[in-house]
Parts: sequence; structure tokens; C-alpha cells
Amino acid sequence: MLQCIFLISDSGEVMLEKQLTGHRVDRSICAWFWDQSISQGDSFKLLPVIASPTHYLFQIVRDGITLLACSQVEMPPLMAIEFLCRVADVLSDYLGGLNEDLVKDNFIIVYELLDEMIDNGFPLTTEPSILREMIAPPNLVSKMLSVVTGNASNVSDTLPSGAGSCVPWRPTDPKYSSNEVYVDLVEEMDATVNRDGELVKCEIYGEVQMNSQLSGFPDLTLSFANPSILEDMRFHPCVRFRPWESHQVLSFVPPDGEFKLMSYRVKKLKNTPVYVKPQITSDSGTCRISVLVGIRSDPGKTIESITLSFQLPYCVSSADLSSNHGTVTILSNKTCTWTIGRIPKDKTPCLSGTLTLETGLERLHVFPTFKLGFKIMGTALSGLRIEKLDLQTIPPRLYKGFRAQTRAGEFDVRL
Amino acid sequence: MAPPAASQRYPSPSQPSGKSEVSDLKTQLRQLAGSRAPGVDDSKRDLYKKVISYMTIGIDVSSVFGEMVMCSATSDIVLKKMCYLYVGNYAKGNPDLSLLTINFLQRDCKDEDPMIRGLALRSLCSLRVPNLVEYLVGPLWSGLKDNNSYVRTIAVTGVLKLYHISPSTCIDADFPATLKSLMLHDSDAQVVANCLSALQEIWSLEASHSEEACREKESLLSKPVIYYFLNRIKEFNEWAQCLILELAVKYVPSDSNDIFDIMNLLEDRLQHANGAVVLATVKVFLQLTLSMTDVHQQVYERIKSPLLTLVSSGSPEQSYAILSHLHLLVVRAPFIFAADYKHFYCQYNEPSYVKKLKLEMLTAVANESNTYEIVTELCEYAANVDIAIARESIRAVGKIALQQYDVNAIVDRLLQFLEMEKDYVTAETLVLVKDLLRKYPQWSHDCISVVGGISSKNIQEPKAKAALIWMLGEYAQDMSDAPYVLENLIENWEEEHSAEVRLHLLTAAMKCFFKRAPETQKALGIALAAGIADFHQDVHDRALFYYRVLQYDVHVAERVVSPPKQAVSVFADTQSSEIKDRIFDEFNSLSVIYQKPSYMFTDKEHRGPFEFSDELGNISITPEASSDIVPAQQYEANDKDLLLGVDEKDDNKGLSNNNGSAYTAPSLESSSSISSQMQELAISGPATSATTPQSSFGFDDLFGLGLSTAPAPTPSPPILKLNPRAALDPGAFQQKWRQLPISLTQECSVNPQGIAALTVPQSLIRHMQSHSIHCIASGGQSPNFKFFFFAQKESEPSNYLAECIINTSSAKAQIKVKADEQSTSQAFTTVFETALSKFGLP
Repeated sequence: MLQCIFLISDSGEVMLEKQLTGHRVDRSICAWFWDQSISQGDSFKLLPVIASPTHYLFQIVRDGITLLACSQVEMPPLMAIEFLCRVADVLSDYLGGLNEDLVKDNFIIVYELLDEMIDNGFPLTTEPSILREMIAPPNLVSKMLSVVTGNASNVSDTLPSGAGSCVPWRPTDPKYSSNEVYVDLVEEMDATVNRDGELVKCEIYGEVQMNSQLSGFPDLTLSFANPSILEDMRFHPCVRFRPWESHQVLSFVPPDGEFKLMSYRVKKLKNTPVYVKPQITSDSGTCRISVLVGIRSDPGKTIESITLSFQLPYCVSSADLSSNHGTVTILSNKTCTWTIGRIPKDKTPCLSGTLTLETGLERLHVFPTFKLGFKIMGTALSGLRIEKLDLQTIPPRLYKGFRAQTRAGEFDVRL
Repeated sequence: MAPPAASQRYPSPSQPSGKSEVSDLKTQLRQLAGSRAPGVDDSKRDLYKKVISYMTIGIDVSSVFGEMVMCSATSDIVLKKMCYLYVGNYAKGNPDLSLLTINFLQRDCKDEDPMIRGLALRSLCSLRVPNLVEYLVGPLWSGLKDNNSYVRTIAVTGVLKLYHISPSTCIDADFPATLKSLMLHDSDAQVVANCLSALQEIWSLEASHSEEACREKESLLSKPVIYYFLNRIKEFNEWAQCLILELAVKYVPSDSNDIFDIMNLLEDRLQHANGAVVLATVKVFLQLTLSMTDVHQQVYERIKSPLLTLVSSGSPEQSYAILSHLHLLVVRAPFIFAADYKHFYCQYNEPSYVKKLKLEMLTAVANESNTYEIVTELCEYAANVDIAIARESIRAVGKIALQQYDVNAIVDRLLQFLEMEKDYVTAETLVLVKDLLRKYPQWSHDCISVVGGISSKNIQEPKAKAALIWMLGEYAQDMSDAPYVLENLIENWEEEHSAEVRLHLLTAAMKCFFKRAPETQKALGIALAAGIADFHQDVHDRALFYYRVLQYDVHVAERVVSPPKQAVSVFADTQSSEIKDRIFDEFNSLSVIYQKPSYMFTDKEHRGPFEFSDELGNISITPEASSDIVPAQQYEANDKDLLLGVDEKDDNKGLSNNNGSAYTAPSLESSSSISSQMQELAISGPATSATTPQSSFGFDDLFGLGLSTAPAPTPSPPILKLNPRAALDPGAFQQKWRQLPISLTQECSVNPQGIAALTVPQSLIRHMQSHSIHCIASGGQSPNFKFFFFAQKESEPSNYLAECIINTSSAKAQIKVKADEQSTSQAFTTVFETALSKFGLP
């Protein structure tokens, strides 16, 4: 049972306080928390669950905003953390991002949302589509409307029907003139290449994202051509378990609007689309560094937005880096980013230069880890293919759309 | 009044001082209050927004309470919400003014818009002003019967809020019964879930003094109710599912079919997108199958992949929580993740708390088959930019080396670290090499050749320096320049700041001296002289001791300082298996995150002065769980100390003493003489068992006086009748106490009069005797008293045993009950608590 939720800005200011039970939590807890956070140097290093002298604190940090929840009683820690993550998701969904100004400008909405999401310390509904029915997001349209009609209420007049329906994720009877459903495969490649250039780990984390704008009570089935490659599936509550168990078919009544149908992982991939070949040699206080980036196996679609970033070791006093393609920037915190974009046909992009070590050091002993970023539109690198999407009762004018994209997730190349 | 205090504590240069702005707002609100002009709502909204933003920053705006309420007559729902928010925040501080709000809230409770009805009801219940309780009952009743589920949901939670303000009002209005029927019949899942949550809380709080609530609480765990929830679990939202799963954990299945039915019903929950649901399900699975070893193993297999998914797909905070749980699992079943070690490879961008847990996991899952890969991976982290993690990973390599039999490859890796010439890497590695050599002396040759090449000048960290010096002393015969290195270090004695290093230097010089006397003699002399002149007491003492031992006899000195080495087989592990079992029982709770059972960290404020908190935990562990014998015996002895404190002495000293003097039970930090005395007494235990009737007669006789002068028995006799002349000999009590599991643990407060009367334990013993609860042993001194009580059912020889610990400074009593008949232990606890609560009252 959570007793209180605070939103704290990145300067430690309490932006919002929502007391949930009769046991009021004094704000001084935030001051205590902030002291801890500062003493740790970096708020990112602070543990998600902390025992303060009076309360147990759960905290998550999103875009510099700390969501802090306090409790004095035993509760599943993951529940508190999950809930805070949901709150952060819903808030950034509503406010179109999460930062100090947005929260301060819209604190009434944040209060309203928290009011519906949790009562007496126990989470109620965190389903965005239901919440959206109860509290209208502060978007441009509603602002325009309020100016035109003079009705500035951002609360819809109707009560969420979904809150009372037996399919809690879906409003009872949405109506659309044109029925559309879009399926996106969004994949992220997580890979680790070790010092010897071997692929230690390479896997895809993927999500099936949908946007459903269907009238009535549609019953969908989605099947894949090669479901056997999937592992570690997690489903939206709407997915029926049995059909998947017996013949790997996703059968579900979709929520209204955008939602994440499932997430999955495809493991033990053998190849990455892009290779990175770093080389470093050091002698008498200077290092020569050269990094080559090229296409290893062509995915058939253009690889875009290739970036390579790494942290210069702290013992490097200065760096002089240049590239034959793209731009190189070095920030004051020694983060070096090489923006490559697309790989040109005629040459292999190469970053080269020298690093000067701090005086007294002969050789470099600490090596940077390169983080690769890329994006490929139109293909799912896991090889997952959607076979078909069926609607049990086909409404007139149904439009179905499919897309896929892959981007680099945690792609580490160690030196 | 918290808000004003808070505002003073948070002065911020950017925010307005408050005073004048607030009074401005007050005037403006007053002007608007009566106005019905068009557009007035807009100006009101702006003002409200200002008020609430001040409130949010921490400025005290309670002074505009009256004006806010006056302005609240509006049909605008946003205005209403803001007003509710404001009122909810300040009502508790302004109970008189709150009366003003009741009126408009009650009116809103009858609004035709269900949303307004619900919101008003929620705000009404959130006022939490005790003297306004009477206004709540009506709206709550109609709320519970509302035809809109949203309103019903809020009303159910409202009942719980009412209970917390005034339990009697809530019970008198018979709300729990209504909630129960709603829970079993309402069509809306959220209403049902809220009913469950409210009833659980109300009944467990009521259970301490109401038989009926006890029964109701147990009825929640009955088979039909559990299946009612589990069968329709999919209709509930994710958070309510967690609630139901928490309930299911407490359910005791009747047979194995029951277990399999539940697992089948819940299997798909493991695939849920919400980690909290998955973890709660895992807990149900693990707890259900505890008694079925082979199925339990299968469960580990089944839960593996969902848990690993959660680790890698969630946010770092979620991963952290899950990894903590995985760590617990892997310690119990190391095989489960052995093949999935790659999941615990660290990614560069992960926060260090996740990396740290992952390193622990890698250490825990390492076995013969994967050690090579894991160590290779860990070695890469050693060159990581993040120094803290680099250190951790070197330590992890060392831990793996200490677990494994085949350390050949690992030792090579460790030695490679030394060649990296990074000060912190070298430092960590030296410490590890030292530990390794203590366990595997056979590796000394390889290690020493490398260690010998390290210049001691490059090592600054005391721990590493101490390790190096230890090795120099220990392997002086293998390192040609050991005496000279030591000599160098000794010459810089003055510059050595760490006492630990200086102590090691002394010992190393001694050891070196025994092996290579001519080369070391001079250095040892300097070291001893410097040591004796040292300002640090330990260093001084050790130097002096060495000096005198040497003076006495060099051979004796060698035997003392440098005896033949024995390889260490097991390093002192930090946690006992009991504690791990205890944490496992609290799976999916904070205990797992802290890696401590809850009794070690919760309720610190109540527990503060307790001196025997660890004993509390130990005693409660069932005999099956305590696998190693040594501690178990200790507890036994401990128990004996306490148990025999009173009665045996009584028997020995005769029955004439019925005032305090004979009862000076051993204090908890009992000296050894006392405990040995008790051991002797324990031996005589069996003998007294033969004379049980006598001794029990003695008891009754002893307290006969108390019985006759005691107040009349409880006015409303509880259902459970206890035998006023119950008898149990101490030996039987001890045996039972060890055999029976704890059926109930309760904490309650003792009234101040009781505390005042508890200057000596006898007063309570006599008091409990009058309630047919007999004391068999007592002990402790202010502020902590410990009692062991027993009681018997009137009609049949069914025993209840209770341990009661009273802390007079916090006025809390902790009761542990064990019973022959588990089912009636709750009833007994109630009797016990009632008796205890009357203690000290005239």
C-alpha cells in the first residue's frame, strides 16, 4: 500500500505531492531523499528501493523527473515499481513528454490522473485508453475546442464505460466511419561484440504494436509464418492464452487505439547488419585509434542513422579525432559521438586520430566500449513474418496496414 | 498541521513569500463567491489553479478555506475536482471549517452524473475528520447500492477509509457484511477487487478482538472463495490480479489435485505483461509445491523463462527488483539458470545497481560447464571504464575461483590482471590472490612468481598492501628479495598510515625472520622498535608481545607466529541457511531486496531496544528447516535458560516463595555460570516430569492467592474455554515448543496501566493465571520481558503454547502462539490478547 507519491524535479524541488491514505507523509522525506541522491553523485546510481528512517521509498527516474513513492508497510516491491513506471508512461503519454515545465503547466491533470489511477494506496486502473475517456489529454484539439466553444473542461462528460465492462481494456462501443487496423513490428537488436571481435551475444527484442480503430466488439486473430523462433513472449492482457499454446495464433479483442500487443525475444542470431572494427595502439603517452564501420550482411533495406558513440577513458587528456565520412563531436564529459548516417557506396567510413594520455602514463589500460546505433525501416531483422490478420466479423471498408522496423538497442562493441 | 511547517522548511528564492499573495487570492475569491455573471467560472478556475499551485509548492493556503468552499457551488467538473483536492488536503487541519464542505459534498453525492457522484463520495471519505463521521454513513450506503459501478468502486474504498477513521461506526453500520455480499455477487470486477482488499484489511484488524471477524477472515481463504476469484481472474485488472494472487498464496490446498488445479488456472499469468503479476504467480507456484519436491523442481523450470524475460525487457528499476528475486532462487536451485548465464552479461548503459546484481548472478550460476565463458566475460569488465564495476567483477572472478575445484584457468586470468598495471585492478587482485592461496596453497608457486614482480611502491590501498605483505611473509622462502622488500617497507614505517598494514608488517617480518634469519634480523629489529613506539594500541601491543615471545624462546615464538599452515576449506559465509529459508518464505516482498528476513528490518522503531531480535527469528524456525546442528543446540540451550528460569527453581526452593525474590530469572545476556547452572537443571527435567501432578498442584497453590483476589472472569466469556487447572511439565513444554510450527504471530499494544504494573514479571504471571493462562517461564529485565505461557482447553487435553515478549518502553507485546490444534489458535490468541489488554486495569 503506497502512502504518498511525490514528483521531484531534477533540481530537487517537489513539484507535486499526492497523499493517498490517512497517514500523511511529511515532505521532509523528499529532502532526506534528495540528500541521499546528491551524496550518491548521480541520481541514476541510487537504488530503486531505499529504506529511509521512516518509510520505504520506491523511486524511478524518467527524463530527469523522479517519481517517489513512500510506504510504511510490506508490499511487493515490483508492484510499486511497476506502478510508478505506468504512472510515468501515462504522464508522458498525456503531456507529450515528461519534464519540469510540462508537469508544472499541467499539474491539475496530473492530480486528476493520479486520483483515478490509485485510491487509498491501491492501484486502480492504469490502462491508458480507459483513462483517456475519463480525463481528456491536454492536446491542441481540446485547447482549440475550449477557445471556440468556451467549454474549457478537460473532463469528458461520459463515464468510462470500459471501467464497467467485462473487457476492462476496451470501451463498450466505439464507432468509426472507416475501420482501420495497423500492425507494426518494432525490433531492437541487442548485441555484444567482445575484444576479439566475436559476437558474444546477439538477440532481438521485438514488440508487436498495434493501432486499432475498429467499431463494435472486434475479435482478431493474428498469425505468424514462423512463430517457432519466438521466445520469452509477454502478452497484453487481451490475448487469449489457449490458442497461442495450442497452435501459436494470437486471438484477442483489441483495446481501442494504440497499444502493445506482445513483446518477444529472438535469441542466438548469428549476424549483425553492421560491423565495427576498432583498433587501438598506444606507446609513450599517445594512442593511435582507428575505427572502421561497414556493412556486414545487407538486410536488403537501407541502414540509416548510423552512429557510434563512446566514452573516452578518464586518463585521456586530449583527443584529436577525424573521419572520412560523417561528423565527430566530443563533449566536455569526454563522450565522443560519430554520426555516420548512411554508409556510402564508394568508401568505408573510418574514424582515426590520436589520444594524448595524461602525463606519466605510458600505455592505455582502460578501453572504451563503443555503442552502435542504427535504424532500418521496412524489415524485421529477426526474420519474423506476419502471415495474416483476420477479423471474425468483417466490417465494411476495413483497412489493414503492416510495417516493420529494426533499430539498434544495446549494441556494445568492446575494445 | 503539516503544510505550514513544510512551507517554512522549503523556502525557495524563486517562489513568492506567500502572505500577500494568499490574502490577495482571498479577496478575489470572496468577490467571485456570490457572482453569477457569465464567465465567472473561468476566473474562478484561474484562482483555484493558483491556490492549488501554491499548495503544491508548499505554501500554506489553508486560510482561504472558507472562500474556497463558498466558491464551490458550480457545475464545472474541473472546478469541482480542484476544490475536492484542496478540501482533502486541508480538512484535517480545519475540522470546524470542514463542516462547511459536507453540505456541498453531500449534495454532489446525489448528482445525476455518476462521475460527480463518485468524485464527491471519494472526497467526502478523504476528509478524515473524526467528528464528521456521522455524515459519511448515508452517502456510503447509497454509494454501495448505486447502479453505476464507478460509484460502487469508490464507495467500497470509502468504507475502508471510514473504518480507519472510526472502526466502530463502520462495524455498527454493518458495512463489512454488505461488502462481503458485494464481493460475492457484484458483476463488476473492480468493485469485487476493492471489496476483497477492504475486507482483508478490516477483518485482519478486527480479528484481534472479534471472533466473528476471525472466522470471516479465514473464510476468505476457504476453497469456494479462492476458486471464485481464481476462476475469473482474467476479468480483473492487473493490480487486482496481484491482490488475488497474494490471497491465493495463503490458501492451504486440500490435496495434490487441488494444487494442480490452481496451477493450471494460473499458468497463463506467467506470460502477463505486468511483472508484478508474474512475480506474484511465481510465488503462488513456489509456495504450493513446497512439499512436493519433484514438482517443485519442475516449477523452477517453468518459471525460468518468464523471469528472464522480465529481466531483459523491463526498465532498469524493474530489472533490479526481479534480479534480486532471481538471486534468491539461484541460491536455492543453482542449476536453474546455469545454461542461461548470458542473460546476466552486463550491458554498457545499465545503471550500476543492475550491473552489480548481474555480477552476483554470474558468480552464483557459475559451474563446471560455464566457468570459462563467465570468467572471460568478467575479465572484459575489468578493463571497463566504470571503476566500481571493474572492481566488483574482479571480486566476482575471485569468488568463482573459490567455489570451483578447477581453478587453473582462473588463476591464470587473475595473474593477467596483475600485468595490467592498473592500480585498482592490481589492488583487488592481490587481495584475491591472497584468499586463493589460503584455500589452494598448491598454487603458491605460480602466484608467487608473478606477485614477486610487483613493486610495492605501486600499491597504495591498505587492503592490497596488507595482502602483499602477508604473502611476502608467508612465502619468504620462495621470493628471493622478500626480506629486502620488507626492509624497505619497514624503513618507511612512519609514512604508513594504516594500522592494518603495520600489523601485517610486524607479522610478516617475524615469519620472514624464522625462514631467513640472517637477512631479516636487522629489519625485524627496526620493526619491533618502531612497533613498540607506535601510537596505535594494537600495533604497540603486538610488537611488545612478539618482542617478549622472542625473548622467551625463539622456537616457541615460531610455533606461535608461524605454525604450519592449514588450507581454509570454507570461508565464513555471511548468511545462514535458516535466514535464506526465511527470506524465501517472504518471496515477492521487500525482504528479498534487502536480503534480510522482514523481522530484521521492519518496525525498527518498535524493535529498537530489543536485544534478542535474532533469537526471535531463530526460535520460530521449524525443526525441519534447521539443518545444521550447532546453532540449533544453541537455541535449545537458550530456551532452556528461559524455560527453566522459574519453575525449576520453584520446585527446588519449595513453594513457600510467592513474592518476587525467587523469580530472578536469568537475564537475557545470561552469564555462562547461570546457563551452565541451567544446563544442570535441565538434566533434572525428566525427573520432575514424573511428578507432574504435584508440580502443577504447586503452581495452582502458588497462585491460589492471586486467583482468589483476581477480578471476576471476563464479562463476556469467549467461546474458547480454558482449563483453569491446566498442567504441563516443563520438559513437555520444551518438546512441544520445538515440534510445533508457529501458528500465529501477533503484535499488540499493552495499555499504560499494564506497563506501570509490570515492574516485576510476577504481576503479569498472576494476572494471566486468573485468565487460566499459566506461565511456565519468564525472564528479562526492563524494558524487555519475555514469558512463556501455556493453556489447555477445558474439555480436552489440547494445549496452547505462547511466547510473549513485552517491551515496556514501546508498550508493545509480541505474541507467538503454537497450538496442538492449529484451527483454534486464533481463538486462543484472542483470549490471550483480551487477557493481556485487561492487565493493570482495576
